[in-house]
Amino acid sequence: MKESRLLRSLFIQKFLINKITWLYILSGGFVLSTALLGVFISSVHVPVPTILHIVLDNTFGWGWLNEVARNEEMIIWNIRLPRVLLAFFVGASLGLAGAAFQGLLRNPLADPYTIGVSSGASLGAVIVLFFQFTILGLGNFTLPIVAIVGGFISLLIVFGLVRLSSRSLAIETIILAGIIVSSFIGAVVSLIISLSDQDSMTQIIYWLYGSVGLRGWSHVQLILPFMLCGSFILFYHYRELNALALGEEAADHIGVDVKKGKFYILIGASLLTGAAVAVSGSIGFVGLVIPHLVRIVTGPNHRHVLPLSLMVGGAFLIVADLVSRSIIAPEELPIGVITALIGAPVFALLLIRERVGGERR
Amino acid sequence: MITVNNLVGGYSNSPIINGINLEIHQGEFFALLGPNGSGKTTLFKLITGQLPIIKGDIFLSGKEISTLSKLEKAKKVAVLTQEAQVSFDFTVEEIVSLGRYPHQKGLFKQLSRVDWNVIEEVMEITNISQFRKIPFRMISGGEKQRVLLAKALAQEPEILLLDEPTNHLDVKHTFQMLDLLKERQQSMGLTIFSILHDLNVASQYADRIAMLHKGCFLEVGDVDNFRKTDLLKKVYEVDIKLGSHPTISKPQLLMTPGYHQAEPCTRFENSYQIHQTKEYIHIQFDHPLRTISNGVIGDGIQWLRHFCNFYVDKNYNCSAPDRDLRNWMTKYAIPYEQAVGMMTAVQLKDVVIRHEEFEGIQMLAVVTAGTGNAVDISSRTHSKVSQSVGTINTMLFIDSHFTDGALVNGFMSATEAKSKALLDMNIKDPHSNTIATGTSTDSLLVGLTQQGEKTPYAGSGTTVGKAIGQIVYEATKEAIQKYLQRVQTK
Repeated sequence: MKESRLLRSLFIQKFLINKITWLYILSGGFVLSTALLGVFISSVHVPVPTILHIVLDNTFGWGWLNEVARNEEMIIWNIRLPRVLLAFFVGASLGLAGAAFQGLLRNPLADPYTIGVSSGASLGAVIVLFFQFTILGLGNFTLPIVAIVGGFISLLIVFGLVRLSSRSLAIETIILAGIIVSSFIGAVVSLIISLSDQDSMTQIIYWLYGSVGLRGWSHVQLILPFMLCGSFILFYHYRELNALALGEEAADHIGVDVKKGKFYILIGASLLTGAAVAVSGSIGFVGLVIPHLVRIVTGPNHRHVLPLSLMVGGAFLIVADLVSRSIIAPEELPIGVITALIGAPVFALLLIRERVGGERR
Repeated sequence: MITVNNLVGGYSNSPIINGINLEIHQGEFFALLGPNGSGKTTLFKLITGQLPIIKGDIFLSGKEISTLSKLEKAKKVAVLTQEAQVSFDFTVEEIVSLGRYPHQKGLFKQLSRVDWNVIEEVMEITNISQFRKIPFRMISGGEKQRVLLAKALAQEPEILLLDEPTNHLDVKHTFQMLDLLKERQQSMGLTIFSILHDLNVASQYADRIAMLHKGCFLEVGDVDNFRKTDLLKKVYEVDIKLGSHPTISKPQLLMTPGYHQAEPCTRFENSYQIHQTKEYIHIQFDHPLRTISNGVIGDGIQWLRHFCNFYVDKNYNCSAPDRDLRNWMTKYAIPYEQAVGMMTAVQLKDVVIRHEEFEGIQMLAVVTAGTGNAVDISSRTHSKVSQSVGTINTMLFIDSHFTDGALVNGFMSATEAKSKALLDMNIKDPHSNTIATGTSTDSLLVGLTQQGEKTPYAGSGTTVGKAIGQIVYEATKEAIQKYLQRVQTK
């Protein structure tokens, strides 16, 4: 009896491992196919073999065509490819950070923007756009760097507030401090917008909508280290995120250093959020919807929720970007509008489906 | 296992625990009791390190707790609390596997084969394997608590700390849970330190108890400390009486509600009805009486309202008299759970019913008597149970308030009076040819209304004892006379 039960459970485990493996393969395929679509499709038509040649030639030196038009190479290599990669990195960062924040704050409504890091980053960017300054030696990097610094300053303010009001980094206090900081900074941003002239106002608003276009390789290089670093920190703490679902006291009882865990998870998720906002503006809905979507398929275990949120988030943003630039081409829609337009109905559908499914069970 | 020395601690400024010494041994089930706010949970939090120690120290298997890392502590101590809130839809299996946290190794710590074996085993023990893939929030409260227990056991702890583990469980799940823990304690030598609220449950499961009151221990020791009801009254401010479990020797406690119990306003003579037929006599009271009896059913000391004496043929097959009595009572719509049932082969029309008053105490005696099986209890000859009509059934109801001791005392007085009646009637044991003291199957009940002043004695030295003697003597004598007349006229 016991034997057979054990065997069956092993079988179930194996089956589950297979299911999870398939999910990874599927997500990987999703990422790859959206990336290819993102590179292939645009208002300027370039034949697919030419595109493949340009990409492979520039990355591995595996080109086979002799004659490629200079402007085509420019478009593919310097505009389209970094755009797709940036979309992937930003989406991946937001998806992963969202999953981490929801797990950490034990709140399904949390997203990367809940605790105010993004507001800080936005404020940094808005200040740069308003004063139109460049820091010596940074050049075009001025805006993202200032934005990242802004994000970190706001994180420090949030930490300070939490520490002053409660000794133990209580979740409720973190959320409240985040809301206080966000709304205050939001007010400052609005103030700056209202004080600015027509020109920079348009620029600021457009930036706030979010976009991954016209950023080039520099921004890809900028976000990459933050993303790697933040992802590593979060992946390393997946068990702590799982344990926190029991509540902090119970997590402490099974040996989790709750305070340290929370601190590192906050840092990791803030790195991802800050960098993503700095290079692309505040793109909503990815960090909220993607982790939910992933959880519905994989269950809440962060061991899989985190990497899959990263992959699906990235691929989703590539699609959103593709839609935003092709739907009324050659004009572009703000990508944040598209994520919300796709994300909200999908989210609603999932909610309804889960509710119906839950009742049937 | 756990040693606590002069512990002072709690929330800063105002310590809740004020100097506690405690030694919990390996393999012991130790229960911590005390009213709300006495500091039980605070003591637990000091042991788990969630609250700061102000003074004193705590050792876990010989090591000072501040020298243990969180992981080391989690390998030694597991905690099970009363709350069961889990965010997100984690499955039962995932929750249990979280208990392996302190044992996991490697960079991206995954569950090893050993971990899975432990998880399987604890799910088997706690009987939750069948829910393994079900989301935690979908199962019932009792099942949730078993899952959390499995999680705690998955830590493979030496010590299990339980903070009111059965708090909102029903009786079934409470006992299931505690049986499981007790089994684990006895078979694996698990040390259990549990906060319990239910004194009777603690008495049945704990090896030793500590009574916490205002941050200090009032009593530490075995469960017989529960016999100190004065102490319990002081701690809980509730009138607690010591009772006894019919089969388990551990003390059991009975709480008396503080509200005023409405007293029956009817006078004794109006508070009962006698219903008599050829088959049975049924005396029914408005209110339950504190009754001592050796009836076929309703024996011992109980609160009962219905008192029945059933006529049976003298050749009655008494293989299952209690079942028969229940059937008959059901037939006549008498609730047998609230009844004393006797049986007799004496003609019920020969019953003697006396209602008398002795110095202000109202009494009712109902006696049927047959002396065919009269026995002298002191004679050496052993009489076989014969099939003749012969049993004396006495029911005595008194409008007074007896302690349990007085009840037994009254029972004795009634028996003595019956023997005296047999003596005066010159009833003899046919085998020894000496004066009989009773018959071989006499039944007696004494029922008290428990009104008025409480009386601790009802022996022959007291007024009420004398009264019992007189009424039982007179009634029994009259009943025997009626019996003898009937036998002679036959």
